[in-house]
Amino acid sequence: MGGNDMRLQTASSVISFSRELEGESAKFYEALAEKFAEGKDSFLSFAQENRKYIVQVERAYYGVISDAIEGCFAFDLEPGDYALETTLAESADYSEALGRAVKIEETMVKFYTTAAEQSKSLMADVPRAFMLIVRKRNERLAKLKSL
Amino acid sequence: MAVLEEPIKGVPLVKNYINGEWVESKGEIKDVVNPAKYETIGKVPISTRDEIDAAVKASQEAFPDWRRTTPVARARYVFRLKNLLEEHFEEVSRVQTQEHGKTIDESRGETRRGTENVEVACGIPTLQMGYNLEDIATGIDEYLIRNPLGVFGIIGPFNFPFMIPLWSAPYAVATGNCVIVKPSSEDPFSQLKIAELVEEAGFPPGVWNVVNGGRVVVTGMLEHPGIQGIAFVGSTPTAKYIYQKCGETGKRVIAQGGAKNFIVVMPDCNVNATITSLMTSFFGNTGQRCLSGANLLIVGDDKFYNSFIEKVADSVSKIVIGYGLDESVQMGPLRDTEKKQRVLGYIDSGIQAGARLMLDGRTFKIRGDYPDTCFLGPSVFEKVTPDMKIAREEIFGPVMSVMRAKSLDEAIDVVNDCDFGNGHAIFTADGKSARQFQYDVVSGNIGINIGIVAPMAFFPFSGMKDSFFGILHTQGKEAVRFFTESKVVIQRWF
Repeated sequence: MGGNDMRLQTASSVISFSRELEGESAKFYEALAEKFAEGKDSFLSFAQENRKYIVQVERAYYGVISDAIEGCFAFDLEPGDYALETTLAESADYSEALGRAVKIEETMVKFYTTAAEQSKSLMADVPRAFMLIVRKRNERLAKLKSL
Repeated sequence: MAVLEEPIKGVPLVKNYINGEWVESKGEIKDVVNPAKYETIGKVPISTRDEIDAAVKASQEAFPDWRRTTPVARARYVFRLKNLLEEHFEEVSRVQTQEHGKTIDESRGETRRGTENVEVACGIPTLQMGYNLEDIATGIDEYLIRNPLGVFGIIGPFNFPFMIPLWSAPYAVATGNCVIVKPSSEDPFSQLKIAELVEEAGFPPGVWNVVNGGRVVVTGMLEHPGIQGIAFVGSTPTAKYIYQKCGETGKRVIAQGGAKNFIVVMPDCNVNATITSLMTSFFGNTGQRCLSGANLLIVGDDKFYNSFIEKVADSVSKIVIGYGLDESVQMGPLRDTEKKQRVLGYIDSGIQAGARLMLDGRTFKIRGDYPDTCFLGPSVFEKVTPDMKIAREEIFGPVMSVMRAKSLDEAIDVVNDCDFGNGHAIFTADGKSARQFQYDVVSGNIGINIGIVAPMAFFPFSGMKDSFFGILHTQGKEAVRFFTESKVVIQRWF
């Protein structure tokens, strides 16, 4: 008896995982801002937004979590599907960095879309917070592709 | 997955909070044990009769001034408490997991539910309003005022150490009464933490007291003429006893008892959503809740039954068991070894009665390196009949007893044959079936596609049959009624 070792099944683990992803990608953008002056402002604003998303997700979760809903059984996500590749080779140029950023954002969109889908009937405001981030990230993707 | 940091450090001694002071009890001292790690995390006193008497005296002295404090001012104290609870949300949630064993998601859910009661009580200037009618006769007006009564005792159970006293205490103090809370001696830290925040919120001394202990404190409350009423949540035998004693001593009473909730599944239900809900219903809080599903009553033919029960068993077998501060854990331990032994006794009873143990919770794997002392896996019994002990008595553990019925009518008969009426539920896509269930089933709370029928803070936590003794309930407007007496004034001016 016992579930899959690595899967994210509880709301708490998904919120923590989202916090980790946002933190990792924020650090990635801060590193890019230091390396590439041409995108510095955009990268720093992305990092700042990421931290805002963490607050939004946590606020939604702490606001609606209840002993009566399926918090421990709300999700079934494989964290490996959303691993972010945030290290860039020293020699990487601006275009490679943007390509990596696009991949990160696509992964984040996939994560939040799936998490929203899995929690939509259980967690009230949580999927709405997730989908808001998906919308913002799609806007970011468009911006990254235009840089 | 990371294990979250524990908030209770060392082995602190819990003190009583009486008259705005932290007082060391003279009673015997008992260990508070974290059931997941089976280690002592604190010491709790079993307070004496003198100590409960001192708390009553302090409350009685505080009452006249507190009663005269305006409702809007009282609401502001409560509002400060609500803000402090929000500020300390994560800490108080982790305290619950550490002292009780429930998962962190469950603890945070408990914190939210408890805090919502504090939030609702902030509306006391509106909630406590009476009503009036001008000219009941020529030149004569009549109006109703809701007066606070004095001192109330609030006796909490072990299974929701944070939330359940908050079903009552915020309403009691917001309406102008004083309270003495007796937490469960098994997990007293949550109420200790609340008392610290009460102190920080600046409540006047004697308005909110906490006296730790056991039977002596309860008896002291029941027998003390200075206590106007008792709000109790616990087992049915104790609820009955408290109800009787309050009758003898003229106290008003809310006595919420045990349960044996049926979850009726119709063949037209949304299978996947239903099964997810069943996991929380039967195994949330390790089955230690009066709203837990206990008996799964499946209506339908063999094809539906076999397919449904196979999926249920598959989901149950994947439940992750471990220490609730590990965020990946879906079910924690039972509160203590005695409770585990009790559940094991019921599993033996089911086997002996001829039920089929299709999933044996006595064999399980714990995530992480923790002793199995208080842990037990989830069990599923098939071929349970309504007369079996496991179908009739409250097990208070992670055991699902599966039964079958040919029709909804038959299912409702089975449900209504149960001695308890706390939180029966139906899962169906058919409105007519749902309405019939709601209409015919005798239960204080009814779930329709809801596995845990926990009323929100602004609705009463109802109960019927052996699940509740009293008239008014905890939470919301009914709590306001319970903690106040109606005074009717008829006035004429010559």
